[in-house]
Formats: sequence, structure tokens, C-alpha cells
Amino acid sequence: MPVDLYYVPGSAPCRAVLLTARALNLNLNLKLVDLHHGEHLKPEYLKINPQHTVPTLVDDGYPIYESRAIITYLVNKYGKGSALYPEEPKARALVDQRLYFDIGTLYQRFGDYFYPQIFGGAPADKDKLAKVEDALQLLDTFLDGQKYVAGPNLTVADLSIVAGVSSFEASDIDFKKYANVKRWYETVKSTAPGYQEANEKGLDAFKGLVNSILKK
Amino acid sequence: MDKSVVHKIHVANNAAARAKGSRMPTQPIKLYYLPPSPPCRSVMMTARALDIDLELVLTNIMQGEHKTPEYLKMNPQHTIPTMDDSGFILWESRAILTYLVNAYGRTDSLYPKNPRQRALVDQRLNFDLGTLYKRYMDLYAPMLFHGQGYNDEAAEKLNEALGWLNSMLEGRVFVAGDTLTIADISIVVVFSNLEAFGFDFSAHENVAKWFERTKKSLEPYGYEEIDQAGARMLASFLKKE
Repeated sequence: MPVDLYYVPGSAPCRAVLLTARALNLNLNLKLVDLHHGEHLKPEYLKINPQHTVPTLVDDGYPIYESRAIITYLVNKYGKGSALYPEEPKARALVDQRLYFDIGTLYQRFGDYFYPQIFGGAPADKDKLAKVEDALQLLDTFLDGQKYVAGPNLTVADLSIVAGVSSFEASDIDFKKYANVKRWYETVKSTAPGYQEANEKGLDAFKGLVNSILKK
Repeated sequence: MDKSVVHKIHVANNAAARAKGSRMPTQPIKLYYLPPSPPCRSVMMTARALDIDLELVLTNIMQGEHKTPEYLKMNPQHTIPTMDDSGFILWESRAILTYLVNAYGRTDSLYPKNPRQRALVDQRLNFDLGTLYKRYMDLYAPMLFHGQGYNDEAAEKLNEALGWLNSMLEGRVFVAGDTLTIADISIVVVFSNLEAFGFDFSAHENVAKWFERTKKSLEPYGYEEIDQAGARMLASFLKKE
């Protein structure tokens, strides 16, 4: 029963899926998508994902996209009872809220600030940077007296958020000045299973890409 | 059926459910809200669909009521909607929607438990927040709240997202399958706004048909007085040419 993942190594949402699969001891068939040559815009890819984004998971023929829907799916399907995505409604709701904070506020503001610079050659926008700092301040507040973002256990919310926040290292954003965020970051790096392979490797690829673009 | 009769049946049903030991909130769930706010409208319609009593707490963000020390203590992100279920605080409308069904849904039809079906709903909810609603806000927030003009580039990006939604609806009755889910209730509020603002999305045929279908499905859950009315309130903020 093959579980295919269409991905690129540098992409933070893709790394969130890799981290989750690794935490579940799940093997994925990794399929590199050649974005540069428009592989994601070809009919075969549009069939599984009309929005032509990465990551896209195809589980025994069934396609799923949006990284945060993929990672919750993986736990629901392959990790029933796992603390990674608890089933109790209140505990689950907290993880869900952190995931929506990630896509709608934290990672979004990072993308709004940084991606125009690296992919659009735009100058750094001070107001957009201020919004990222505001989001990091919120994350810092969420982490007050908490080991992980959604409580005492590692969850998919940590995996999604760490994939995004680690990408900040490729930019001029100093997220480590937020004490709780810094502490949490070190914790997740050392407790998320297979962190080196699942996130650090792809992060290096992302940094390499950014450096080559910015050096031009 | 007469509204007061409907209400009496509703109250009796909830009492019967509690007597049977089925899960219902022990007291009305507080919802900090403002009527025109689209994510608040999603939560209110979903509560109706689940037969959940809400205690609505008007929170005038125009007058900073979301930034009082008490509000910030409850929700440091100072957003609406914020829910208080007998002391359990939650914000992010889509997390509230999933919570309400997970905790109180008599059936799972609004948010199926089957992992694949659930993943489809979750993908639609993520597409909503991360792409559709974002691009809607990128176009309309400057016009609604900062008196700015219509931005063609932003409109193009919104249309692109509508095109993607149109593809997602191909061969489907509702956004995540054959029956209504919280994904429809979350997404419909954007279209109620677009309709009230006079944004023409008729070129996206699947979307247009789905919108009419969903409006009808939500009629028993307060579509007119919650969503349509809220959208019209918001439309009045738009700068009149």
C-alpha cells in the first residue's frame, strides 16, 4: 500500500510532512517535483492537485494536499491514539488552533515578508517585518510555561511550526530573541524523531537556494 | 412551523439529550463576536446546525473591546470569534467549528470521522484560511477599513483562487463531498460577502451553483439573519463611488 509524497526538500510545509511521517515510523515514497521546469503544472499533477502546490500526498491512489491536512490525516490514519494529535476534543482543539495560527498568521506573515524578497526581488518591507515579530511574540506567549506549543506533549502543531520557524534562519529575522521560542526550538530539535533527516537536511537546501538567489 | 414552537421543541430536545447522558454543553457557550464578522457568522450557523445554545457577547473591535486587559488575558491574539465553553477558551473560527462537531455533534456528518473524508474537509478549511479568505481580505480589507480603491492585481489573485475552488467542486455537491460539512459553512461566508459587495463570480459555474445550494441548506440554520444580514452590514462599509 504505497504512500507517495510529492515534495521539494526546501519547502517548509513538505518538511512538516516528513517530520510527521518520521514520528509515526511511516515510510513514504518520496517523489521530487521539478518546480523549476513546471512539473507541477502538467496535467498529471493538476489531476491530483488542481492548486498545483507541494506537498501532495497520495495514499493508495487517494490524493491529499495542504500540509496541515496531510499531517493530521497521517496521525488519524496511522497513529490512532498517538499524543501527536490527541483525540480528546479539547486537547485536539488546541492543536487545531495552533495549526490555524501557523497557516493564517505565523507562516503567512513570514511568507508575506520573505518570499517577495527571494522570489520577486522586492526590497524588505519594515511593516511586514513588524507583523512577523508580532506573530513571534504571540508564539512566545503561547509557549509561556508550556514545553510544547499545544501543551506538555509534542504534537503535529510543533512539527508544522518548527518546519516554518526553522526557515526563518535563512532570513534576517531573529526569532531566537524570544526566550520561550528559543527554548522551544532547541527542545523540538532534540525531541522530534529524526529531526536531522526530516527537517535539517531540507532546511540546508532552502538556505542554499536563498543564498544563491540573494548573491546574484 | 411557528418560531416559538420550534424553540420549545429545541429546548425539549436538549433537555432530553442531557437526560439521556448525551454530550451537550453544561451551560450556553459564550461567543465573543460582532455580527458582520465573517468567521463569527460561520460559528453561529454551525452552532445552530448542532443545536448548541450560544450566549452571544458583543465585542466591539471598532472601540477596542478586544484589547482590554480582560480580553487579552483570555485571548492574547485579541481576535473574534473567541469561544468560552464553561471555562475552555478557544479562538480561530475553524478550530471552533471542528471542536463543536468533535465535542457535541450527535452525528459526524458535518465533520466526518473517516480519515480520508476528514482530510478533505481539513484541506478545504486550510485552503479557506490560507488562500481563499486571505485573497478576499487582500482585496477587500483596504477598501472596507482603509478607504482605499479597488486593486486589480488583488482581484486577479482572488479570481485565481475561485478558479481553484471551482475545480475542487467538479463533480461534487458540496465542497468536501455529497453532504454539507463545516467546510461549506466556513467558505460560504466569503461568498455572502462577495454577493453583497457586487463581486461577479458567475463565470465560476460550479462555485455559483454550490453557493445557491449551500444557501438553501443553511436556511434552517439562520443563513438569512446571520450570514446574509452580516454581509450586508459589511457592505455598508464600502466606500460609495
